[in-house]
Amino acid sequence: MSIRNLALAVALAVSVPLMAPPLAMAQEELSEAQITPAMQTALDEGGSLVIVDVLGAVCDFCALAMTRTFERRAEVAAATVDLDAKTLTFVLREGAQMEDAAISDLIRRSGYQENGIRRAEAR
Amino acid sequence: MKQYIFAGAALALASGGIADARPVSYEGGRTFITEHDRDMSAIWAHYTPHHRYSIGYRGEWHREDDHAFHGAQLTWLAKRWFGADYQANLYLSGAAGLAYGVDDNPAGTGAAGSLGLMADWETRRWFVSYMARGFAGDTVGEKAMQSARLGVAPYVANYGALHTWLMVQVEHSPQAENPVGVTPLVRFFQGPLMAEFGWSVTDDKPFLQFQYRF
Repeated sequence: MSIRNLALAVALAVSVPLMAPPLAMAQEELSEAQITPAMQTALDEGGSLVIVDVLGAVCDFCALAMTRTFERRAEVAAATVDLDAKTLTFVLREGAQMEDAAISDLIRRSGYQENGIRRAEAR
Repeated sequence: MKQYIFAGAALALASGGIADARPVSYEGGRTFITEHDRDMSAIWAHYTPHHRYSIGYRGEWHREDDHAFHGAQLTWLAKRWFGADYQANLYLSGAAGLAYGVDDNPAGTGAAGSLGLMADWETRRWFVSYMARGFAGDTVGEKAMQSARLGVAPYVANYGALHTWLMVQVEHSPQAENPVGVTPLVRFFQGPLMAEFGWSVTDDKPFLQFQYRF
């Protein structure tokens, strides 16, 4: 392999991951339980993913409370809770926005406590 | 009046020794519950307008004392402690309504009420709770009870899967024929539905509870 080809291979190896969309990077970290088929459909339609770390989610009633609270919002296409990962994940519809403070408030009104919010842009 | 408040608190703490899972729901949530233990049968439907309290109808048939109660119950989540792997709660409740004698009990209809306290600590593997309740009525007298539960989940399941708990409940009802009761039970939990099946080994009677969260 020539030096030129080696340099090209190194450049590709470095640049391709950097060019990957943020959502793809976020999804690599997510388990199947954090992305439901409805959420995947919403993402494919241009929605944006939000991942919220939650304190106190230990049972199905906890998960149900947060899922229903978020799915009642017009901005939210779909939501789910992964008790193993201790996260609420939801997809905002294309063009919709929800501030961190609003997310924390919805978690609180579900009966739980937010412990960190991460976002990924749509592809 | 003071007597009723005290007895109500004692009764709320004692009548109906069933440890209801999450007696306060999410804002806008509605829950329907039926309970049947060694002493009474009850139905309870509540609505949660705020994440700190719920309000609803509660009907009770105290089979051992031959009286019935119908009233409104308010449950307040006084404190919730959060952790990444646990949740603990302290609830206070009060009910007010009418009670009257049934079957061979000639008691007429009169004002009645209850007061109660419930505390729990729960992880995905372990569950511990305590509750106490006192009940008092103009025509049907007073009673009190307390109970405690210990539970373990033989496996840990994720949201949407079937959760199973093995539990044992110890009840103390000073007025009962058997003041101390022991009830092993199994709890099944999946999505909006929770069901409990048990048997009072001290009274040789079934224990049942169903909850559905809308």
